[in-house]
Amino acid sequence: MAGAEPLVALEGVAKSFARRLLVQNRSFALSGIDITINRGEVVGILGESGSGKSTVANIITRLTGYDSGRYLFKGRDVATLTRKESFAFKSDVQIVFQDPYGSLNPRATVQSSVMESLLLHKRELGKAERIARAGQLLEEVGLNAAWGDRYPHEFSGGQRQRVAIARALAVEPELLVCDEPLSSLDVSIQAQILELFVRMIRERNLTIVFISHDVNVVRLLCDRVYVMNQGRIVEQGQARDVLSRPQNEYTARLLEAVY
Amino acid sequence: MTHPTLAPEEPLLKVEDATIALRVGGRTMVSGVSFAVNRREVFGVVGESGSGKTLLTRTLFGLQDDARLTAGRVTFEGRTLPLEGYGAAVRGLLGHAIGYVPQDPFSSLNPSMRIGKQITEAIYLAKGWPMGAERTREAAIALMAEVGIPEPALAFDQYPDQFSGGMRQRIVFAIALSQEPKLLVADEPTTALDAITQRRVIEMMLDRSRRHGLAVILISHNLELLRQSVGRIAVLYGGQLLNIVPAADVGTHAAHPYTEALFACIPTREKALADIRSIPGEPVGAGFGTSGCAFASRCAYAEPVCLTAPLPLNAGITSGFSACLLGRGAQ
Amino acid sequence: MLRLLTLPKTNIERAAVILALIVILVAIIGPFVTPYDPMQISFRSKLLAPSSMHWFGTDGSGRDVLSRLLHGAQLTLSATFFVLIAGVVIGCTIGIFSAFVGGAADNALMRLADIWLGFPPLILALGFASALGASLQAAIWALVFSWWPNYARLSRMVTADILSQKFIASADALGVPLHRKVFRYVIPNAFDVLIVQVTLDISAVMLAISGLSFIGVGAQIPQPEWGAMIADGRSYVANGWWIVLAPGVAIFLTALAFNVIGDMLRRELDPTSRRR
Repeated sequence: MAGAEPLVALEGVAKSFARRLLVQNRSFALSGIDITINRGEVVGILGESGSGKSTVANIITRLTGYDSGRYLFKGRDVATLTRKESFAFKSDVQIVFQDPYGSLNPRATVQSSVMESLLLHKRELGKAERIARAGQLLEEVGLNAAWGDRYPHEFSGGQRQRVAIARALAVEPELLVCDEPLSSLDVSIQAQILELFVRMIRERNLTIVFISHDVNVVRLLCDRVYVMNQGRIVEQGQARDVLSRPQNEYTARLLEAVY
Repeated sequence: MTHPTLAPEEPLLKVEDATIALRVGGRTMVSGVSFAVNRREVFGVVGESGSGKTLLTRTLFGLQDDARLTAGRVTFEGRTLPLEGYGAAVRGLLGHAIGYVPQDPFSSLNPSMRIGKQITEAIYLAKGWPMGAERTREAAIALMAEVGIPEPALAFDQYPDQFSGGMRQRIVFAIALSQEPKLLVADEPTTALDAITQRRVIEMMLDRSRRHGLAVILISHNLELLRQSVGRIAVLYGGQLLNIVPAADVGTHAAHPYTEALFACIPTREKALADIRSIPGEPVGAGFGTSGCAFASRCAYAEPVCLTAPLPLNAGITSGFSACLLGRGAQ
Repeated sequence: MLRLLTLPKTNIERAAVILALIVILVAIIGPFVTPYDPMQISFRSKLLAPSSMHWFGTDGSGRDVLSRLLHGAQLTLSATFFVLIAGVVIGCTIGIFSAFVGGAADNALMRLADIWLGFPPLILALGFASALGASLQAAIWALVFSWWPNYARLSRMVTADILSQKFIASADALGVPLHRKVFRYVIPNAFDVLIVQVTLDISAVMLAISGLSFIGVGAQIPQPEWGAMIADGRSYVANGWWIVLAPGVAIFLTALAFNVIGDMLRRELDPTSRRR
């Protein structure tokens, strides 16, 4: 990767949340973090709830802004992107959320959810091609293309997560951000989705940011890892090294606690 | 991990052939479950969502309003509880002989009452007579110290929302322990907590069990957590009891195919990516009944007989039990 | 519409659905099947008790009550639906807009709706009546203007709830444009809540229209609007009870039917019962 321009570079990005009466949001704030994601890497962001790791996911996908610092995507400061470039950015960066029950439009069939990605970002495709492509994507994530006309509530959590992955992959993103994609699934289904990610990483030229609280999953899946605690990155490095010989006191405590 | 030695005495809790049905519609959700928990034993119950683990324990301890025990025999401290009016009978034990810790530490405390008051109230209720304000306060503070609340004298006058989830769960434990129960039932007590807090709360509980001879039933979806924490594990799937296995044997000795498959799903400290194997298909819901094995449709070893034959029941309440129709995992 | 027939769980609900369908059918074809001209005055046949000639009798001016009732169904129901549709369109446009923009504009619009809600519809109706002259149109506009804040507040609440869900974040990550978000994400997901509220409001609006007509600021007396018919029959209660009874029962049964259906829809469309 040496010499190549990183796909994502967060430089001293900070964000705070307005404190409302009786609601303390401070724990999700970020204070001046630096993150670099190179092409083809699977980068883990490990942290407990309130560490700010989901805020990082939202900043990288531009679902939320930041107060200070710089975010360079392919070397461009995203703050300078035009409207059109911002729209194109959305086909480069996609996200899969934790809760498969909430992340699909309940009033759209799963096929139309997948086709929506194509409709918006693959304008050259005709309707028949979109339908065919959506079917292929559903098959690719391990679903039956014939189930396309069903609604999300007819699927289990694991199947919905597969649909969400198909929808994200439909635009052929360069970067896929996964925000705790396994956490709300049953143990046996977690393993299925984990296997799906492993296959996706192998088959597609994907760069992945994998946000998780699960040390063991991060160790298995990620090349590099950032460990976050209370809005700061406390340790970073090769996942293998950091998660076996932690240098930071918090990382060590976390590793010791994990079952 | 040291395992409490199994005394030859009568088990603390014995459940024989428990069948649980919904009150509305009468559908049987859990059938033919038998197990025994010995004094001082830490006993685990594992299952995925829909396995019936929560329904089973909540109904056994009189906390589930929409289901009831329709058949079976439950014996606590040698006394058999009547099937008729079971809920009321077991609730009579709840709060002194049996303590219960629910999953959610955020909704199980009264938000508008100082935590000291909530604990002293529990002590009053357990003792049945007032001990005098000063002595009760001391007892409560001692209890809070024991469950690991820092500066308990200060915490005594604070409200639940001034504490983190882990601290709140400790307070819930303190309330459950204030009644000096013989059996503590903890239903996913750490699921809502962070890893570091989870480990501390579980260890506090195990420590309490060791030092006071408290029997614990720990219910969890996390087989690895149970493997490292408890003595024996009951494995539920589709409302059936498939396996009772010594925790030390999980991953090392042959067990029921579902137990083995479930363990193969879990990324642990030791495993490599190649060691993770998912189970195809989706978990079945509770209410599978007793003809055929609920896991047969996903089982790698399944043969036609697995779909139809009556499921073996744990009639003898042996400590190692496998319901596998092919005899896998039998001791 | 077909689904509506499969939803009822009890006989009361089945009866309510059948009754509502009959009322709607009557409102559509009523004017074509009336036995007599509803406006035809005939002093020879005034105050006739119900008979085989005049099933529901005749009123103080000799008009056939059944014919007036059938005509009135169309008048009353179309006025009701107009109020509701106009109220929903105005209210939801403001409510959805308010939820999307948020911030100060949101606050300002919702406070406006609150103030508006505090304004008694009767005063508004009297105002419209004095401006436009007392007529059914004046009553309808008065009700539209006093009803929209309900829908503005409801749709704002529902939209804000929908916008906080993850599938909206997922849409944002994909760059789904605003109009598509409104029509494909927000409205379909808000529809259930709105349809329940509208159904429950049918009876309230119908009673309000009839009430305004009854006190004289709505439909004027020869018009066969149900409320106006009761107002007209008031003076004959002693020797022509059927004149008020027929429209009274019609209002009562229609309002009841739509209320039962509203409660049924609320139960059946409850989002919590549909999860998983």
